[in-house]
Amino acid sequence: MYYRRLDHNLALLATLAALVFMPVEAFGHAQEGIASGFASGFMHPILGPDHLVAMVAVGLWGAQLGRPAVWVLPITFPAVMAIGALIGILGVPLPLVETGVATSAIVLGVMVATDTRLALWIAAVIVGAFAVFHGYAHGTELPEAVNPLAYGVGFVLATGLLHLAGILVGLLIRWPAGEKAVRVSGGLIGLVGCYFLVNGLMA
Amino acid sequence: MKPRLGRARALLAPLLAAPATAHAHLASTRLGDYYAGLLHPLTAFENLLPWLALGLLAGLHNGPAARWLLLVFPASVCMGAALSQLLPAVPGTSEFNLFSFVALGGLVALAKPLPAAALLGLGALFGLAHGYGNGLALPPGGNLLLFVAGVTTAGYVAITLTTAATRAFVQERFWAAIAVRAAGSWIAAIGIMMVGIGFTSQ
Repeated sequence: MYYRRLDHNLALLATLAALVFMPVEAFGHAQEGIASGFASGFMHPILGPDHLVAMVAVGLWGAQLGRPAVWVLPITFPAVMAIGALIGILGVPLPLVETGVATSAIVLGVMVATDTRLALWIAAVIVGAFAVFHGYAHGTELPEAVNPLAYGVGFVLATGLLHLAGILVGLLIRWPAGEKAVRVSGGLIGLVGCYFLVNGLMA
Repeated sequence: MKPRLGRARALLAPLLAAPATAHAHLASTRLGDYYAGLLHPLTAFENLLPWLALGLLAGLHNGPAARWLLLVFPASVCMGAALSQLLPAVPGTSEFNLFSFVALGGLVALAKPLPAAALLGLGALFGLAHGYGNGLALPPGGNLLLFVAGVTTAGYVAITLTTAATRAFVQERFWAAIAVRAAGSWIAAIGIMMVGIGFTSQ
């Protein structure tokens, strides 16, 4: 029984792998680099730990703030981030981007660690301001991507999934131990932000 | 256990048999242009994401407008694809298609119910524009009728599946509508950036 199920899963896995590797470049429109463009966009927010923790913090804080913040933040964040990316794509200089990203991790981490419940609009303004910096950092690399559209799809998807991860972890606040764990995570996120801020300032 | 294993194998077999580099030979078979038209919009984010957004939007609507859209949208795609052969140089259609990411994704994120005429009007407008863009991709010497039929089928399948899945998804779960709206926001975000790319590359 067990081996049969394993066999079944392997077959499904192989099917998926075959789908992933199906060649798509043979059609009429230029789809070169769609996979590598998507991959580089998807990995961009994940491979930068300062981006990663800040995005998770958005979800954690949203979960702490409860409704309606828990859904207002993930819905508004991508659009605001895209405006930051637009500024980056258009080549408008934005100072202190990396400092802004590191600061966002610190501020959001502190908010989660201290379980600060701000009014929805103040929380939205804070998160929105940081979203511009995050979007800008990704957006400046977008025009160079092999396939900008696939890159954009990848990085928006990764960012959204990081928010979702934060919200799901944030659901632990229903239990007293979980609530503490979420706050400790916020503290750790703040520390990661401090590391990147100091690194950035020393460089 | 046995039938499930069989199903997985059956699913796998055509994939393994699929020729890796031989798509070109489809053009020489009788139904090749139909499949070329069918796959063209489904293998590009440029069409797939706005169509997904339109389906999500329709799925958030109650009433007959969403059902009519299942006919209006593919019909418009069909007309747009046919039109591309009569008027092959309408300017700004690809920019307009990028704008459809922002408009449709944004409307899904806002989740405000639209009047029936507005929903159907949007479906017709973007159907025409996307059909037009796909029609231009007809391979030289390809069969227009088969290609347009393929593109239209793709439009019908995409919009019907997405609308139905969204309806089923949001009816039972309180958080599902929020997930749909977040997906709309993601599509709009991608569109905002692509409009920016469109401007800088000109």
